[in-house]
Amino acid sequence: MTQYGELPTFSNAGRDDSSPAVEAEVESAVVPMWRQRLRIFLQNKLAIASVTYLAAIVLFCFLGPFLWHTNQTNQAQALFQPENAPPSLHHWLGTDGSGYDVLGRIMFGGEYSMTLGMIAGFITIVVGTIYGMVSGFLGGVVDTVFMRLLDAFLSIPLLFLLLTLITIFPRTATNLILIIGVIGWFANARIIRGDALIIKELEYTQASRAMGAGGWHIIRRHVFPNSVSNIVTVATFAVADAILFLTTLGYLGLGIPAPATDWGTMLNNASQVQPFYWWQVYPLAVIFILVIVAITYIGEAMRDAFEVLLLER
Amino acid sequence: MLAYIVRRLIQSFVVFVIVMLITFALPYFEPGGILAPAYIALGNHATPQAVHQFGVQNGYFHPFFVRFWDYFLQVVVHFNLGYSWKFTEPVWTLIGTFVPRTIWLATLALLLTVVIALPVGVFQASRRNTIFDYSMTNFLFVLYGVPAFLLSLFMINWFVFSTFHLQLPPTGGSSLQIFTDPGAFAVPVVTLAILNLAFFSRFMRSAVLDVLVQDYIRTAKAKVGSQRRILFRHAFRNALGPIIVILGLSIPGLFGGALIIEEVFNYEGVGYATVQSAQYKDIPTVLGITLLITTFTLLGNLLADIMLGVVNPRIRVEGR
Repeated sequence: MTQYGELPTFSNAGRDDSSPAVEAEVESAVVPMWRQRLRIFLQNKLAIASVTYLAAIVLFCFLGPFLWHTNQTNQAQALFQPENAPPSLHHWLGTDGSGYDVLGRIMFGGEYSMTLGMIAGFITIVVGTIYGMVSGFLGGVVDTVFMRLLDAFLSIPLLFLLLTLITIFPRTATNLILIIGVIGWFANARIIRGDALIIKELEYTQASRAMGAGGWHIIRRHVFPNSVSNIVTVATFAVADAILFLTTLGYLGLGIPAPATDWGTMLNNASQVQPFYWWQVYPLAVIFILVIVAITYIGEAMRDAFEVLLLER
Repeated sequence: MLAYIVRRLIQSFVVFVIVMLITFALPYFEPGGILAPAYIALGNHATPQAVHQFGVQNGYFHPFFVRFWDYFLQVVVHFNLGYSWKFTEPVWTLIGTFVPRTIWLATLALLLTVVIALPVGVFQASRRNTIFDYSMTNFLFVLYGVPAFLLSLFMINWFVFSTFHLQLPPTGGSSLQIFTDPGAFAVPVVTLAILNLAFFSRFMRSAVLDVLVQDYIRTAKAKVGSQRRILFRHAFRNALGPIIVILGLSIPGLFGGALIIEEVFNYEGVGYATVQSAQYKDIPTVLGITLLITTFTLLGNLLADIMLGVVNPRIRVEGR
């Protein structure tokens, strides 16, 4: 699966009959890979639904507050609102235990959950890519050492490692991002190393090396561009995982401290009263589960698009 | 075979030492430095002199690797994991109280999962691309997307507080209560089982599918074996190898899932203890428990490898 396919210039070399059929073949070979993948991705209706849903939720969280004005930060002012009020015309999804409007709070918490999740997921993919590429590309002793280290990281259960780090560092938004970023990259690194190992041995990489290209050049021009599709797929799952970790932390009472909030912290607050008030849990739970399912599904659809393309060739 | 086991044991031990090094180094990054325990241990008497003296007495000013060597000996030779500030007990005593509870919870849940997931997976694989397979796959996909804490929240709400009014596990008490009073533990066990269900049956389905395309299945079909016979005699048995491995590898996930369920159900297991100590910045406890769970994980991987080596002799040679 080279990015440039079988180079048409080579296969046509020395042939002077450029029949239309050959021309069309050449044309299809130069359609950029990403566009072919996009075509297959767009054939998947559930994937389109997932993308639409995610876009809608992002708009809801980030633009919603401009239409639905609520107080989400002033605790004193919230005290004047009824607590745990059921849905009404004034509060479409009722209020929570502190008197905050739940609909507005889902938007407010969603901004934190998604932004932090995205950044943390992005960190995991950057670190994982660099680690995996270096390890896979250099090979030998470096690879062995890197992989044994990775084995060690991977054998610490993530949730326990997460709690250990949360114990040690003060709980700020930046630290939460960094901590989730630090524990999330292990699995990514392993996948990307596998890619690097394969691409390193392919003919065009060897050719490039034979022509005197240095290691950095090969990584930049051959290994990285050819594993981008895989990296993007892994990144999708990484973001889902990061949001999940963040929300789990919030639910355990270790999320973003007040006055900010995230979806996990909201669910934690709602579950302090049992049986909980349905409007504080179910709308948010449905939105959240669907966000996770949608992101995961987009990832699977991208992986499929990648594999179908392999089958078509 | 013995050489294989010894080699894997040595590898596991190296990984264990690296993990220990990582967990031991973590408190160095704490704001307030490694002297933080002094402030908590001394409380109101934490004058600069007292803190300094505490540091000297406990060897906090020795170089990192000297301290690590002491800690290594302390853990590996004396099996001493330190002292918990929050529970005011040695960490080992805590572990002795909390870990058996989690092990029973996790084991029972795992048994329940396997009993349900294996038939479902085999059945799905044998009826691949039928409505049953599709609907089951989609159902499991959504179930897989439900985070542990939400599932537990729903389960505790439906089965304990609002609809069914079942019992919650009692706080404290012996770890064997799960057998003397099973009703009180039903909800957490079932929750943990459901949590693992999606993963295991998806895995079983693909494992059986992998086997079903093999040549020997075709041969068996050609010999006009009955569908059921082929499925259970040939496919299921050969798919068991990957299942054994995944059972071994699922140990960290099991503890992770148990952690959240324990927290939600107030079930006083090792996860509950970890969250409690994390909230009170009780570093020795969190580190000790993490180290212990890591050891379980390593043992699980090791066991999975050895079992696989027993089942499939080719692995032993390849792993060399």
